[in-house]
Amino acid sequence: MLFNSLHFLFFLPIVLLLYYALLPKYRWILIFISSCYFYMAFVPKYILILFLIIIVDYFSAIAIESSENSKKKIWLVLSLLSNILLLGFFKYFNFFNDNLQQVFTLFGKDFHPVNLNIILPIGLSFHTFQSMSYTIEVYKGKQKAERHIGYFANYVLFFPQMVAGPIERYERLGEELKKVHKTVYSNFSEGFRLILFGLFIKMTIADNIAPFVNKVYDAPQNFSSQEILAAIILFSFQIYADFYGYSTIAVGSAKLLGISIMDNFKTPYLSKSISEFWSRWHISLSTWFRDYLYIPLGGNKVTLAKWSLNIMIVFMVSGLWHGANWTFVLWGALHGLVFILEKYFSKLFSFNVNEKWSLMNVVLVFKTFIITSFIWIFFRAKDFDNAKQIIKGLFKPDGWSLPNTQLLYPFLFVLLIILSDVLLYNSRIDFKLSRVKPFYRWFVYGILLFALFALSGTNKFSFIYFQF
Amino acid sequence: MLKKIGYKLILLCATLFALNGIYNFTLFEKDAKEFAKEDLAIRNTQDSTDIYYFGESSNITYANDDSLLNSISEFCGYFYPSLKITNINKFATHAGVYRHWLSAISLKSKKPKAIIVTLNLRSFDAAWIHSKLETQLQQALVLTQPYPNLVNRFLLSLQAFDNKTDEQREKEMLSDWENTQLKFPFKFQYATVKQWDNGMANGGHLLADGTWDVKKIELACHFIKGFAFNLNEENPRIKDFDYIADWCNKNKVNLYLNLMAENINFADSLVGKELVFLIRQNRDYLVNRYNNNYCEVIDNLEVVSGHEFIDQTWTTEHYKYKARMKIAKNLANNLKQKFKKEYYKAY
Repeated sequence: MLFNSLHFLFFLPIVLLLYYALLPKYRWILIFISSCYFYMAFVPKYILILFLIIIVDYFSAIAIESSENSKKKIWLVLSLLSNILLLGFFKYFNFFNDNLQQVFTLFGKDFHPVNLNIILPIGLSFHTFQSMSYTIEVYKGKQKAERHIGYFANYVLFFPQMVAGPIERYERLGEELKKVHKTVYSNFSEGFRLILFGLFIKMTIADNIAPFVNKVYDAPQNFSSQEILAAIILFSFQIYADFYGYSTIAVGSAKLLGISIMDNFKTPYLSKSISEFWSRWHISLSTWFRDYLYIPLGGNKVTLAKWSLNIMIVFMVSGLWHGANWTFVLWGALHGLVFILEKYFSKLFSFNVNEKWSLMNVVLVFKTFIITSFIWIFFRAKDFDNAKQIIKGLFKPDGWSLPNTQLLYPFLFVLLIILSDVLLYNSRIDFKLSRVKPFYRWFVYGILLFALFALSGTNKFSFIYFQF
Repeated sequence: MLKKIGYKLILLCATLFALNGIYNFTLFEKDAKEFAKEDLAIRNTQDSTDIYYFGESSNITYANDDSLLNSISEFCGYFYPSLKITNINKFATHAGVYRHWLSAISLKSKKPKAIIVTLNLRSFDAAWIHSKLETQLQQALVLTQPYPNLVNRFLLSLQAFDNKTDEQREKEMLSDWENTQLKFPFKFQYATVKQWDNGMANGGHLLADGTWDVKKIELACHFIKGFAFNLNEENPRIKDFDYIADWCNKNKVNLYLNLMAENINFADSLVGKELVFLIRQNRDYLVNRYNNNYCEVIDNLEVVSGHEFIDQTWTTEHYKYKARMKIAKNLANNLKQKFKKEYYKAY
């Protein structure tokens, strides 16, 4: 089920009514059923994959907890392997085959592997990572194994964040799901604000930007260098608005149930460096990779050369996590490279997040935005040829003409999102609005509602991150 | 707390009510032009219209060498100079679209005296029923629902309509071709469109040197896919036209089903008498089903000869000007029964 669908707008109030009508001890059953229903609205049979993840990790965690040393490790490896194999099978099988075929061709051999003709289960990368973090934490002894399979199932399945994160830790979401949540008015008002704002960001901003970006990336040869540049900039905002919108709706929906989930974005395009960008963009994934890959590789307690290698590994794996395509790996690698370069030239790029806004900071923000926008080309392009066409298209000798009038509308929305980021720097819409007088607050609601109802995009665009 | 929530919900409804007014005043017309242009045209012309001519591409497609660039509806208008015939056109329309257009006619305003609905036989086939263009129609349907316009606009963004993907529609079309049994009163070797199409594709036309005439085969296959079906009341387009006929009957509006000409000679030479049989059988079905007091079927099926079709390498209902004149005359003559006083012999 999509958040931006009529289905969800009926589903959520029904779940809320039932949730608060039920005795707290039975609410987990409702969350379980509604989460299954939510997921099954996509491809019903894929719920079995989630059940498999739940069963494997639930029992593995208990086994880890009750085992000693080497056995403990075996259970952890078994659990991680099952998750990785599932992910590998559904997401990387064809990618692996294609690459194997190319290697064989390189050596003049014939190899025709059978590719799978299946749709990737929606959000599989998210569930597996979330579930894996739980068993790792149990292994580390930082988390007690959950004995109630229903609570654990809800941790993997919780519908507001099940398909595109935030990738939560059991320590936080698991405990939140177990708590008895009182019916508090502020949860409703904050939840409503977040959902309204999230829908506005996704449907009014991202979905109005998407058609132009799609047109340019589908056939860059038909567009001028100016238009290609516009598409590159617009995509940066499209993917941000799309994913930020989704995450905000997720946080808002959970809030309505009284459950707090983490923020996944903190005005990332106001970052002054790539390292700051990654502390503000898709925070739950960055911290996952930090805790479960970067630190085990040695973190920053190694030589500079080893550290650089580790950073490259983390970013390239992160790229591969996003999609089974070398373009994603390159996207990750480029981020890694800039991250390392920033470290090497740290004096030049040094900044202090608490520092007041200055001209230098604006320049740094602008620099970071240019770098991320350029790197997004590899994320958005369907293959290397497409990326090459886009980059080449940027330098077409077609001179500068008056901007395409079609772009006026999308860029107006870009200005809106920039304005909202500046206003919400290190804050959140619900907190910010709670501090304004009711009249002004309702004035903002009015603007958001009008933009959402009357100006939203009219094409069908799913959330970009659903494909991962 | 419930009181507080109730109060906020009332405030929210009031805000939406006010925003709906702002939307109607500012952006609705722009959206209507983009998504429901024809509905808007009907609403804006109803008071000055005597007869609506609902048409598709046959009405507004001209040949490069046409001496006269008039549409069928314009030619027809010359026979009734005192009547205002308003032409509402859209490419690739069908009975489902026309059915929707009726909802734009306000029964509180001046009612039209007649509605001429142009249909071609192919618009009843699986390819049109599952056409990708259906999404556009569905968008128009959403925007003109009897809810506040702002709500309709939001429902449009939420894709709250039968929004199938192109792949889904294609799958349904292929399934129809594969599974719908063709009925003939005589023995015929192919039971479905798929079988017939395969039969034709695998050697339907041979050249003198024994090789396949690929162009002819391709066109023949298009004829098969476009015309090989048996009309019956299960066909969704028949249900749509039933609705149109009922609506006109109930509201005392004369209805004319203007059935367009097809290239029968081509169908015969390319595919064979079996396909011609189906085409004629389907025409007869429409004539028998809809000819009554309020509805008249104007049968143009065979009034245009092969050379008068603009497209000689495709299945279309696009005619050269003389053929458009012929169809218009045929239509005008049929209108004469109800509009005798207004008739003028134009040509």
